[in-house]
Amino acid sequence: MSDYNDEGSLLRPLRALSFLGRPAVTEPLEPRLAAEGYRGFHLNEHAECVGCSSCQKICDNAAITMVEVPELPNDEAKGIRNLRPAVDYGRCCWCALCVDICPTGSLSLSKEYVHTCTQEEIDSYFMLPNETGMHGTFYGKGWQKTETSDLLDLQRQEMGERPAELRVDNFDEIVDGFTPEQAMAEASRCVQCGMCHDACPTGMDAPEYIRSIYEGDLEQAVRWIYQSNPFSHVCGRVCTHRCEDACSIGVRGTPLAIRWLKRYAMDGVSHQRIQEITQEQRAAESTGHTVAVVGAGPAGLTTAWDLARKGHKVVVYESRQQPGGMPRYGIPEYRLPYEMLDRDIETITAMGVEIRCGEEVGKQVTMEQLQQEYDAVVLAIGLHLGRSTRIPGSDHAHVRSAVELLRQVTEEGTIEVPEEVVVIGGGNVAMDIARTVARLQRQQWGGVKTVVTALEAEENFLADPAEIREAAEEGVTICPSRGPQECVVEAGQLQSLRTWGVCSIFDQQGRFAPHYDEGDEQCHPAGMVIEAIGQMSNADQLLGDMLTERLEWDRGRLQVCENGRTSETWLWAAGDCVNGPDVVHAVADGHRVATSIDEVLRGALKHA
Amino acid sequence: MRAENYQQINHPPSHAFELNFGPNHPGIEGNYALQVQVEGDTVVQARADGGYLHRGFEKLMEQRLWIQNIALVPRICVPDPSPMEVCYSMAVEQIAGIEVPERAQWIRVMQLELSRIAAHLFTFGGHAATTGMYSPMFWGVADRDLILDLFEEFTGGRIYSIYNLPGGVRRELPEGFLQRVTDTLDYIESRLPDYDDLFFKNRVFIKRAKGVGVTEQAMALEYGVTGPNLRAAGLPFDVRRDDPYLVYEQLEFEVPTEEAGDAWARTLVRRSELIESIRIVRQVVAALPDIGGPLRTPIPNPLAWRVPAGESYARVESSKGELAYYVVSDGSEKPWRVHVRGPSSMHAVQVLEELVKGGRIEDVAQTMFSLDACPPEVDR
Amino acid sequence: MREGDSGKSERLRHLRSLTEIIDVAIQFELAAAEFYQQLQPQVSKPLRWLVESLAEEEKDHAERLGKLRYHPDLYQEIQQQIETPVTNLRFSDGLHTPDPKLLKSDQDVLQYALSRERLAMEQYRALAEATEPGEVKELFQWLADEEIEHKSELEKRYYALVHRGGGV
Repeated sequence: MSDYNDEGSLLRPLRALSFLGRPAVTEPLEPRLAAEGYRGFHLNEHAECVGCSSCQKICDNAAITMVEVPELPNDEAKGIRNLRPAVDYGRCCWCALCVDICPTGSLSLSKEYVHTCTQEEIDSYFMLPNETGMHGTFYGKGWQKTETSDLLDLQRQEMGERPAELRVDNFDEIVDGFTPEQAMAEASRCVQCGMCHDACPTGMDAPEYIRSIYEGDLEQAVRWIYQSNPFSHVCGRVCTHRCEDACSIGVRGTPLAIRWLKRYAMDGVSHQRIQEITQEQRAAESTGHTVAVVGAGPAGLTTAWDLARKGHKVVVYESRQQPGGMPRYGIPEYRLPYEMLDRDIETITAMGVEIRCGEEVGKQVTMEQLQQEYDAVVLAIGLHLGRSTRIPGSDHAHVRSAVELLRQVTEEGTIEVPEEVVVIGGGNVAMDIARTVARLQRQQWGGVKTVVTALEAEENFLADPAEIREAAEEGVTICPSRGPQECVVEAGQLQSLRTWGVCSIFDQQGRFAPHYDEGDEQCHPAGMVIEAIGQMSNADQLLGDMLTERLEWDRGRLQVCENGRTSETWLWAAGDCVNGPDVVHAVADGHRVATSIDEVLRGALKHA
Repeated sequence: MRAENYQQINHPPSHAFELNFGPNHPGIEGNYALQVQVEGDTVVQARADGGYLHRGFEKLMEQRLWIQNIALVPRICVPDPSPMEVCYSMAVEQIAGIEVPERAQWIRVMQLELSRIAAHLFTFGGHAATTGMYSPMFWGVADRDLILDLFEEFTGGRIYSIYNLPGGVRRELPEGFLQRVTDTLDYIESRLPDYDDLFFKNRVFIKRAKGVGVTEQAMALEYGVTGPNLRAAGLPFDVRRDDPYLVYEQLEFEVPTEEAGDAWARTLVRRSELIESIRIVRQVVAALPDIGGPLRTPIPNPLAWRVPAGESYARVESSKGELAYYVVSDGSEKPWRVHVRGPSSMHAVQVLEELVKGGRIEDVAQTMFSLDACPPEVDR
Repeated sequence: MREGDSGKSERLRHLRSLTEIIDVAIQFELAAAEFYQQLQPQVSKPLRWLVESLAEEEKDHAERLGKLRYHPDLYQEIQQQIETPVTNLRFSDGLHTPDPKLLKSDQDVLQYALSRERLAMEQYRALAEATEPGEVKELFQWLADEEIEHKSELEKRYYALVHRGGGV
């Protein structure tokens, strides 16, 4: 710095003349376009936004209100709500936290930043952003979510699983379960949007139990879980997780492992403590009413549970030697250990439910008897018979149905399997039987030669993708797009399954109409062919001819109102036999039926 | 009244005239009130009356999630918001034990120094205006605008950048940004001779500023004054040098000091700091292309993130002095207490009152601006 | 349709006028509808909806033929339609035909209906082959195509009922 006492020359001011040679600094009067990444007014792609309200939760000025837009789709099963965020620019500070937390990435801030209005138009500061922008002119996107700025953890905690070579010769449960750290990390991913609750048939309080897990309070989580589902050891392992399909995080990432978190919470509290917790909700006194339930599966036992808690006396008639229904007799042990199913059932019987095993309706007891002895009867027999393809040769003794075989394995512990087995079908039951047979083959023959053939292409299989992957890891060969033509029998011996290739065609309505390529013929060698194509029940036989005639039927199934009541005022129906195979819908049915029966019986109580 | 009942009361001689500087006054930096009693042109007493900018930040921050506060904190100091963001993030990072990736640290340094340059340009302008020269004010604000253009580009916001969060920074620099930084710095450096001619070597200004608002070093230390004000009193204390944070240890820069402690010394210190800041930013621009890596250490879902219980005191050197955040966490999703040590709290209240006492009216505004007193920081 | 199936070919073989042939075809469809109506009380109650829907479908087929019969450009219509290839899915062709007196399940009922459609299709096709090229031949071909369409519809229902896991 030069000496400030230096007066300088007299001509110093003339240096100012240099400004004449410099270009003038001018700025245009119109607002200029903002930089890329500028934080201006909001933009929202309405087609991508699902209305999860995470933006509303993170806004630190409460500037966002979710408003209903009736023209937009609202589909609970897919996790789409017709709510969209509206922004109050009197409160918004343009911090873009809403953009960075948005699970779908539909929100962004534009490059537009000018808005003026008169006092009469002051409400124009509160607007519903759409794709074009505040004034209908699109100025371009400014701040958008990038990988760096994204505030959500899109990756799920990996569930530890036994590797194939360690699990393929035994029936031990294959998943390890979450460690406490994993559970905490997984639970922290939840944005509490409640899509899972809306999508679950039982209306499960998933956001609440996830929050309880996050807070380390597993007993509270169990309390929340039991609000909607007494089969949670089961569902925590094998539910079809509609919740995860609707999870907002699943739009761009992997959905929360809501099912595994349920498993974590249920396994984390002792069986005794769970029973103590559930007993808290028991009614103090008995109502004096009695209800018979036919079938001790999820639907039947959930109905029984609800009614017993309310003080009714419930007796469950089960034709098999043990209760549990499809979870016991259809789902293999490596997916659902019997011990955990037994825990769920014990908690239910501890509530005062009586289960009578080995009593088959239609044999040891009739429907007429039940109608006379009980105030209400519930039919929850499930779909316990397997369908057959009826192709030539399918009447051979070694052509079996999958549900029947799975039942046999459960009852007897094991069955003899031939060295080569072919399964027909691409659903979860097909995977269950294929993987069960693979394990038995490993035990009995030292190797796996199980082939699964299905009409569908692999991406259209009804089975869970995880099941297909695990089956392949265990040595099962998957042959998609094969149509079964004949079970080849020679000299009384089953030799193979003959199939044609399927050129899969969807018609205009999207219905699947398989079309064969007769030139593409294969014979899959088999000592046993197992049909796992579909399930059905023999309800009309169980009910008897007279009752069958009296009742109303709807497209082959018992007609029920939305509360599960049939056309006979004393008879309700629930579960697979009414709504098709799915364990969580069965539980939801059970709740509905129990509520309906309770209302009707209390109505009777009032009049008594 | 009867004449015999009349008692003469002797009032003390009243020479003092109460003059209100503020809260709305062009001679006050921000919304602040300074009540001065003047006798003639001399100030005999002054009382600083703050609070007009109390917006309740510290309480608001207790009721928001940790991440929601990043939108609040820049608003605590209007002319120099970046140190607020960085300091809050640093404090939370200390409690939670989060490491900030290297690239983010370099970018934070660039952000802080650019903010310092912009703040000083603003202060020169204000200071000049209090001495009756308005051209430097327009120049200062206009040149500051170029820096704000840079902020708009890489943070998305011109003044409240809301660019930092615990764990790092929110987005990557745009393409070609470093070149534009260099261009802007070149331009500002080329303007320094003009500033010198107009302002720094202006004999009128020098005469106005010399000897005004003298802070002795002892007095400054006793009142907790930091920053250019302390350095102008001869003590070379700079948090960047004496308690280094981010990557300042790897950078070369001087800590300019002056001895006189008056308004002129403070101006000179700031001018030197401007040059040093330009130097630092150039070093960062040269180093950044070779530093890769992530820009953020991810934090858990911010709607549920709980910072472990603990407390921390993080400090940075803002353009006004040592800015510090004292944050206490009780292990929940919201802070239990956040206290902001705004550096102006030390020199905008009692020190200001002392310094204007005995001075002239026309130097009141100049003293405040030369101290770079920032009332938003004082009141929060 | 076992009854009088050879009689069907006999009745048609000697006809030469298009409208006459269509009239007879309509009769066949109505006879099929009548058959299903009579079948209803013979099956158990849960199956009656299925049998009734089959009766409805046969009536729809008859109506469709009726509309065609009165079409001003009958022959042109037929020509246009037989030009569009109809895929014969052959999905159910390997299955054996159950006895109509022993229909116990929904699968039984649909299998039976499929076999009827297949047989009808084969008969019309045989007739077409046996006829000299000309209007009549094309009409028989068209009628065979119609039966293939009916069969395809039933095959889709069969697939949805039997192969999709019990109906989801």
